[in-house]
Amino acid sequence: MAAYIVRRLLWVIFLLFVVTLVTFTVFTVLPAADPAVLRAGRQPSPELVASIREQFGLDDPYIVQFLRYIGDILPFLGGDGFNFGYSYQSNQEVLPQILDRLPATMFLTVGAVVLWLSIGIPIGMISAVKTGSWLDRLTMGLALIAISAPVYFLGLVALFLFDDSIGRFPLLPGSGAYQDAENVLGKAEALIMPWCVLAAAFAAIYARFLRGNLIDTMQEDYIRTARAKGLSERRVIFRHGVRSAITPIVTLLGLDIGILLGGAILTETVFNIQGIGRFAYEAIVRFDLPVIQGTVLFGAFFIVIMSLLVDILYAFIDPRVRY
Amino acid sequence: MRRSFNWTLILSVLLALTLGVAACGDDEGDEGGEQGTSQGTPAEGKKGGTLTALWTDDVDNIDCGITYYQMGFQVCSATQKALYGYEPGDAVNAVPDLAESDPQISEDGKTVTVTIKSGVMFSPPVDREVTSADVKYAIERGFFNTINNGYAGAYLGDIEGAEVGADPGTEIPGIETPDDRTIVFNLAKGTGGTLVGALALPLSAPVPKEYAQEFDKQQPSAYGQNQVATGPYMIENDESGKAIGYQAGRRIHLVRNPNWNAETDFRPAYVDEIDMPQGNDDTTVASRKILEGQSMINGDFDPDPAILKQVVSNQEELLTLIPGGAGRWIAMNTTIPPFDNVDLRRAVVAGFDREAMRLTRGGELIGDIPTHIIPPEMPGFEEAGGLEGPGIDFMSNPAGDTELSAEYFRKAGYESGKYDGTEEILMVGTSDGVAQKAAEVAKENFEKMGFKIRLRLVTQDSMYTKFCNEPKAKVAICPNVGWLKDFSDPQTYLDPTFNGDNILETGNVNWSQLDVPELNQEMNEAKLLTDPQERADAWAEIDRKVTELAPAVFWLWDKSPTIRSENVIGAASGYIGTWDLSFTSVN
Amino acid sequence: MAAPLLEVTDLRVHFETEDGLVKAVDGISYSVDRGQTLGIVGESGSGKSVSSLTVMGLTRARNAHISGSVKFDGRDLLGASDEDLREVRGNDIAMIFQDPLSSLHPFYKVGKQIVEAIQSHRDVSKAQAYDRAVEMLGLVGIPEPRRRADSYPHEFSGGMRQRAMIAMALANDPKLLIADEPTTALDVTVQAQILELIERLQSEFDTAVVVITHDLGVVAEMADDIAVMYGGRIVEQGRADTIFNAPEHPYTWGLLSSIPRMDAPRGEELVPIPGRPPSLIHLPGGCSFHPRCPYVRDAHRRVEPVLDPVGGDPSHKVACLLDSATRRKLWQELQAGIRPEDARQDVIEEGAA
Repeated sequence: MAAYIVRRLLWVIFLLFVVTLVTFTVFTVLPAADPAVLRAGRQPSPELVASIREQFGLDDPYIVQFLRYIGDILPFLGGDGFNFGYSYQSNQEVLPQILDRLPATMFLTVGAVVLWLSIGIPIGMISAVKTGSWLDRLTMGLALIAISAPVYFLGLVALFLFDDSIGRFPLLPGSGAYQDAENVLGKAEALIMPWCVLAAAFAAIYARFLRGNLIDTMQEDYIRTARAKGLSERRVIFRHGVRSAITPIVTLLGLDIGILLGGAILTETVFNIQGIGRFAYEAIVRFDLPVIQGTVLFGAFFIVIMSLLVDILYAFIDPRVRY
Repeated sequence: MRRSFNWTLILSVLLALTLGVAACGDDEGDEGGEQGTSQGTPAEGKKGGTLTALWTDDVDNIDCGITYYQMGFQVCSATQKALYGYEPGDAVNAVPDLAESDPQISEDGKTVTVTIKSGVMFSPPVDREVTSADVKYAIERGFFNTINNGYAGAYLGDIEGAEVGADPGTEIPGIETPDDRTIVFNLAKGTGGTLVGALALPLSAPVPKEYAQEFDKQQPSAYGQNQVATGPYMIENDESGKAIGYQAGRRIHLVRNPNWNAETDFRPAYVDEIDMPQGNDDTTVASRKILEGQSMINGDFDPDPAILKQVVSNQEELLTLIPGGAGRWIAMNTTIPPFDNVDLRRAVVAGFDREAMRLTRGGELIGDIPTHIIPPEMPGFEEAGGLEGPGIDFMSNPAGDTELSAEYFRKAGYESGKYDGTEEILMVGTSDGVAQKAAEVAKENFEKMGFKIRLRLVTQDSMYTKFCNEPKAKVAICPNVGWLKDFSDPQTYLDPTFNGDNILETGNVNWSQLDVPELNQEMNEAKLLTDPQERADAWAEIDRKVTELAPAVFWLWDKSPTIRSENVIGAASGYIGTWDLSFTSVN
Repeated sequence: MAAPLLEVTDLRVHFETEDGLVKAVDGISYSVDRGQTLGIVGESGSGKSVSSLTVMGLTRARNAHISGSVKFDGRDLLGASDEDLREVRGNDIAMIFQDPLSSLHPFYKVGKQIVEAIQSHRDVSKAQAYDRAVEMLGLVGIPEPRRRADSYPHEFSGGMRQRAMIAMALANDPKLLIADEPTTALDVTVQAQILELIERLQSEFDTAVVVITHDLGVVAEMADDIAVMYGGRIVEQGRADTIFNAPEHPYTWGLLSSIPRMDAPRGEELVPIPGRPPSLIHLPGGCSFHPRCPYVRDAHRRVEPVLDPVGGDPSHKVACLLDSATRRKLWQELQAGIRPEDARQDVIEEGAA
């Protein structure tokens, strides 16, 4: 197991390197706007643009720029490390800005995860056990709608209905409330709608997924054995059925968390939450390459790490899996 | 020079008084006289309270020596004392801010002398009196390659020894400080008349060298995040000087500068705190919040046309329209046929429905349809004909004059009275928001006149840096361009945009690529004038001549729509085109 | 004579499906006495597993129609509540299944699974249950039982897994053990061991056993009685030695002759029964075996045979339209090594003439 973890960690580093390389290439070699000219302002004289290009190191060969970027990040290569560059837009260091926005994204993710698990898992289980009943059909129908409606749409509908300043039924703090909130409780209140909107589609996916899995699992031979042993149906469903059916959900959950930690761009934009996703989107619109690279790297990091964690966790859940 | 300057000062004071009297005569009583579409200084404001401005984006740069956009200027005019400034209500005539009096320009325009006030202090943690050396350093750092100020080269580059891209710490020998309160600028060319205008920009605000030089050595400079202030407000900082009130992309928080002396300042500084939260992307929601809430103003966005319509009908008093010395036009590339034919260009301008263009941004209240180039509230505007204009026929019908247009087409050689070429003409516009609508209306207008247009829509940044600002991209029509004055001098409006000498290979803003040697000469000579009235007259003449050549369809003289909550007593500054934070108060 | 431990009377289990009504079990009756072994033999799809699952109440579903009677130790099982049935399962009646790898939960250790079986019926502590589990594992011949109890099913070999299943089934000392194809998934050498084990435990604990299999050879040694099922019905039933020595149903003959025998000459072909098992939705008319019977006559296509005792031996019942004398002659011919087609020639054609 230890050897496996080491191998995987090496792989993580390699993957992150490749991701950085690809991002760098896409935004450097094929840019849609020249960052030096953007930065120069409205009267970019050639001397000024040249000076800016030198300031950002844009005249160096791409390889050098790339290696410099990598070198700044790694702590043991000369400098202090963990320097992800400076935003072309505001000249501020990228890493502190990302870390500054990380709590918002984390809070959003954690809340949504808790919400969709508490809704999706029970619904999935009930639907599986009562397959074909009106309850099953109803919940699966609603799930289909929730999956099909884009987050952006749901978000705007939610704001239209419940935003306490402009909504039909003013109930909940709306767009922009997250940054106005002062304490954790206020922030949580501001996140109620985003959580619901984000969780809706996921809850539906997980419910459907668990339902399918559980239905399949309940056909397994060991379920028959469990019943033949005279166990209560409840024990059969939970200890034997759900216990097996839930394992692929762990994998799914890990990856979904990884992706969301990279920034739920649409949700954060609709509700004006200053998280990483929003930050990435703003940077892309402005061709702020250092920020783009930083956020992409962060997103990739989370996904890859969560994937590793999930695989390790799997070894504990399923004893047949051995590394 | 000094004489005329004083005269204009007296005239503007009289003007301000008249406006003030007119304002006070209103029924609104002690609310301060802010009405619908006028602007002016409120007679009085209440001290105290917190003002909140809702922004969508961040400043382009928090360092006042780097910022080159309106919103940065707004913040800096509250936190810094540049040598000169503008009061709300007079965007034409600068008043001394850090300077004690008007600048003295030598006859040949090569020497400019400024005396600064005493008793002006830097905010904590620097805590000392400002000297002339601080102004010298402030300007020198604009040329550092860790800072790269966008206009230093353009307006201050003629100072002897000034070089763009200098290493941090490089001194400029052309700036002398004979004593603690005097600065002398020695210029290689006689452009002193231009330089004094630029001294109203934030670059001239003093920076303490002993404190800032460590930061300026870093690449990029970190001074912005650790700046000190000389104005009535400052970005909230901690004891070490770190500007904790600036959270990049999230919020700017201004508090009172404890070392600010009201007696050295023309600003009243009513409110105690100014909070500027960013990220309010949904401007409709933000606008509603402002209109229905308390103590709020809009920051860096214009309320969209739908909101404007609503405000005009229900809450007109909460809307203020500020002419900002800005305009929009549709540039025709004079190097690409058929736009190399001046009569064809005149035909296009004559037949264009500019009212339809204006409608995309909100209609009448959003600004006037130009009759020439220099916009209102700028020196040279009246001299160029004011709102009526100099009487150029193809500019006189805002809705378009099809007959006149046909006439010009025939003069250009198109018998049918329309364009009959079949080639596809490339037009590159912006795909964001209302600008996209404008591009589409422009396309329709061209097509009505017989042109076949290929419209490409890209992001605004792309539109500039990859297409319209790059001559080699060979874009024939750029419908979403425009310009904003840098300071109150018509040179800043006409020179970069229509002087053939300023056509750049990359980053070019003379989108029409107008290059008429006689005109270029005239503009270069006008730059050397030192008397403001002479300048105004000279540039007004240039304005007329450029307009005659119809290099673009000038379709709007912008008025910035600004909105406020009902308890805000707003003071609008024509200089920055938005609220003046040091004059606005809350009730 | 004491009442039988398990008495099944006219059991019918029909399933409504989209394709039609599946008559999985269509009127079967058998009984098992204490300590006795019944072998139920048939091809897949004959209904043999369904009948036993129904005894345990494991076929109850919305689309299942179950009729007839199942009495265990005097109690009616078919009409019993789910609660009552759960008390019986794993306690009075235990069942082991064909594939022990898939029949044991892969995520729980073997000892824990046995403990679960024990604790759901006995009020004992975990430690006590665990000791009993280890004891059972030892009893079924698993070496180092305490260490093995701490292992997962996939860490056992095939044979040991089946032993573990048996240990689990017998942990609560049931009166009846149902073994559904207990050796089919195992190696031939291991098969014998498992059957031996079942036999040994049976005599030790006086457990009745029902062995369900498609292979007559499996029940040759251990069964006291045998029921042959085809198409959801019992076609021949009787004492084991009778079935092996004097079977009277063509299907049974087919089953017997398709067993490879040690004493058969080398090179002699196995004679499988031609054709496929019938669809339980659309059973062939008349005698359901007729499409595959070498001795079929016209009438067999229309008339349904009844399970009747053979003259002289009330415990031996056959459902065949041929008369007993004919069948015996045919059997003799087959035993002499004559092929079915020729036997038919000899007996039926000539008999008719």
